[in-house]
Amino acid sequence: MHRCILHVDMDAFYASVEIRDRPELRGKPVVVGGSPEGRGVVAAASYPARRFGIHSAMSARTAVRLCPDIVFVAPRHNYYADVSAQIRQVLNRYTPQVEPLALDEAFLDVTASLRLWGTGAEIGRRIKTAVRDELGLVASVGVAPNKFLAKLASDLDKPDGFIIVEPDSIQDFLDPLPVSRLWGVGKAGQRTMAKLGVRTVADLRRRRPQQLESRFGEWGRHLWRLAHGRDDRPVMNDREAKSISHETTFSEDLSEIDVLRSVLLDLTEQVARRLRRYRRTARTVELKLRFSDFITITRSKTLARATDVTHHLWQTADELLIKELRHCDRAVRLLGMGVGALDADPCDQLELFTDRTNTRQSGLDRITDRISDRFGAGTIHRGPVQRK
Amino acid sequence: MKITIERDRILKPLGSVSSVVERRQTLPMLGNVYIRYEHSTVTLIGTDLETEVKTKVNDVEGEFGECTVGARKLHDICRALEENSNIEMQLRDERLMVNSGSSRFNLQTLPAMEFPRIETEDWDCELEVSQGELKKLIEKTAFSMAQQDVRYYLNGLLMEITGKILRVVATDGHRLAKSEITLDRSAGKTTRQAIIPRKAVNELGRYLEASDQLAKLCLSTNHLQVEVGLLVFTTKLIDGRFPDYEKVIPKDLAIHLQVHRNEMFDILARASILTNEKFRGIRLGVKSNKLSVMANNPEQEEAEDSMSIDYEGDEIEVGFNVNYLMEALRALEGETVDLGVQDPNSSCTIQQPNDNSTIYLVMPMRL
Repeated sequence: MHRCILHVDMDAFYASVEIRDRPELRGKPVVVGGSPEGRGVVAAASYPARRFGIHSAMSARTAVRLCPDIVFVAPRHNYYADVSAQIRQVLNRYTPQVEPLALDEAFLDVTASLRLWGTGAEIGRRIKTAVRDELGLVASVGVAPNKFLAKLASDLDKPDGFIIVEPDSIQDFLDPLPVSRLWGVGKAGQRTMAKLGVRTVADLRRRRPQQLESRFGEWGRHLWRLAHGRDDRPVMNDREAKSISHETTFSEDLSEIDVLRSVLLDLTEQVARRLRRYRRTARTVELKLRFSDFITITRSKTLARATDVTHHLWQTADELLIKELRHCDRAVRLLGMGVGALDADPCDQLELFTDRTNTRQSGLDRITDRISDRFGAGTIHRGPVQRK
Repeated sequence: MKITIERDRILKPLGSVSSVVERRQTLPMLGNVYIRYEHSTVTLIGTDLETEVKTKVNDVEGEFGECTVGARKLHDICRALEENSNIEMQLRDERLMVNSGSSRFNLQTLPAMEFPRIETEDWDCELEVSQGELKKLIEKTAFSMAQQDVRYYLNGLLMEITGKILRVVATDGHRLAKSEITLDRSAGKTTRQAIIPRKAVNELGRYLEASDQLAKLCLSTNHLQVEVGLLVFTTKLIDGRFPDYEKVIPKDLAIHLQVHRNEMFDILARASILTNEKFRGIRLGVKSNKLSVMANNPEQEEAEDSMSIDYEGDEIEVGFNVNYLMEALRALEGETVDLGVQDPNSSCTIQQPNDNSTIYLVMPMRL
């Protein structure tokens, strides 16, 4: 039995929310982000702005250079979080199996809802309509038998995209796409592939998996599976997740350990915050590294006690990273941090001896969580890591 | 080296020294037992570098020499041989030949010179206590030790000697067990503390027998040695500060209940079946003449049981890990226990009525 997975992705989310509230901006190049006078960065760009080559993560200064008439809007993160919650409410009408990836995108597994709501395409259309009519925003939706294909489909015809990949047309859909469309294949990956004569997904699919494995390691086999449109990962909401993780692929490979540690701290804060939001605690910490030669390693450590304290998770993750990189100078292309062995129902066993660090760090987390909830993720974070 | 000995005389000493040897070692030598024959005496030693067990068998025929050989293999061989048989062990060209009746074993050895010993300092505190009493102290408390806690000083048993009092305390941070006995002679004016590692505590508990025979305890800054008969048990101590246990023992709890020990254990055992398997939480309710326990699990199944008690006063309900309560009740003796409770945020105490020598504390859970 095929699954039916939806990927819902809001178009230029922050910018669209601002334009919705200020109709005079409609049709203009709009950027949400820090001001160009400082060292601001583009958080989101409207589609008219994108036509000038402006994209998120670009410096505000560059954006102004590309388009002097651009309109800058200061971000209102807490407001976006509220809008995101409204979107979530729409999605929850169709299934409880909603896995949020960020404020502006989520996976839905609607397999069990098909009898109630009709086909996946039907549900996708309902969601698009509801988001437009009720929230005045535009969502791109991909409908496919798995997460990988659904995400690809939602992205392919943006903005206002709506692509349905039927189980029997997976290969027709995938084959003509460039390999860079596959998860984890960036510029560097694309170049390496091109050297092997692999440009499209079809090229990749025709290779033997052993060949890809010998060149790219375990990741090669994974790519081969993606090229065949295979992906078994379930859609999981945070409440039932067995693990929570975040990872990031760098645009340029990084080898400086203190920079990597800072990124790791950032990932850890995000993971820990999600953990606390769902009132869960973790017992294992996992570190994931992919090097420039595509070799991917994971290292994990079990904690003596389940915890949701950022400080404790960070200490362990940092220890794993330092242990792995202290003696080698390898360039890292992907860094990931995750927690596992989650306790479903943490109940408070009181302590005989109060642990000062724990009490204080826990209090710190509570406060920073409240600040982040109110003013947006990223408004408060830990200072740079101490050099070791 | 040559030793001729009855199987039944060497089997138990060999078992004692083998049990401390880890099943999986980092160094091959740590899987071996040290054997030495000199002046009609066989000396056997086993070690894991943290704990060492040495024992002797006297009045044995043989020839001088020493070697080391796989502890578990030699023990298994001796155990498998027939009862009342004679065993002959002979070292020849760095191999140990073990012969008995029609059985022949040829074992590899490692040089005795390289066998690692624990080097102790001068003892600064010595005392004697009956084996049986020491064994009881361990049995009453050891189960409350922490296991692989980051607070490494909790992964062991605190031994405290103050004047004529020998006291042991174990805690995992959620519950605590304290038990003490009075010695015949004072072991010195100053208070002496030592934390014995968890594994050593469990090993020691097994060597001790419920007898009046005296055990001699010696302490130095970093080691504890216990001598019982021919067996010498030496262990490193955990270098750390044990938490101030006196401070957490509540002095005057609001409610003290006299409860039938076995009956309370039974109602807890029944209710525990439907607790959350991981957290083991139960609600303990006290109201007029009734002590009740309630449990439920993630599947929404529920259990409830109760017993009558002599109580008039306010109703109170406190959550606990049922295992902690049951283990304390099981470790106590006597028909009745004194259960002290206060409120859902304070620890409860379990002890024998009017007897402060052994006391258990359990911190509540918020359910």
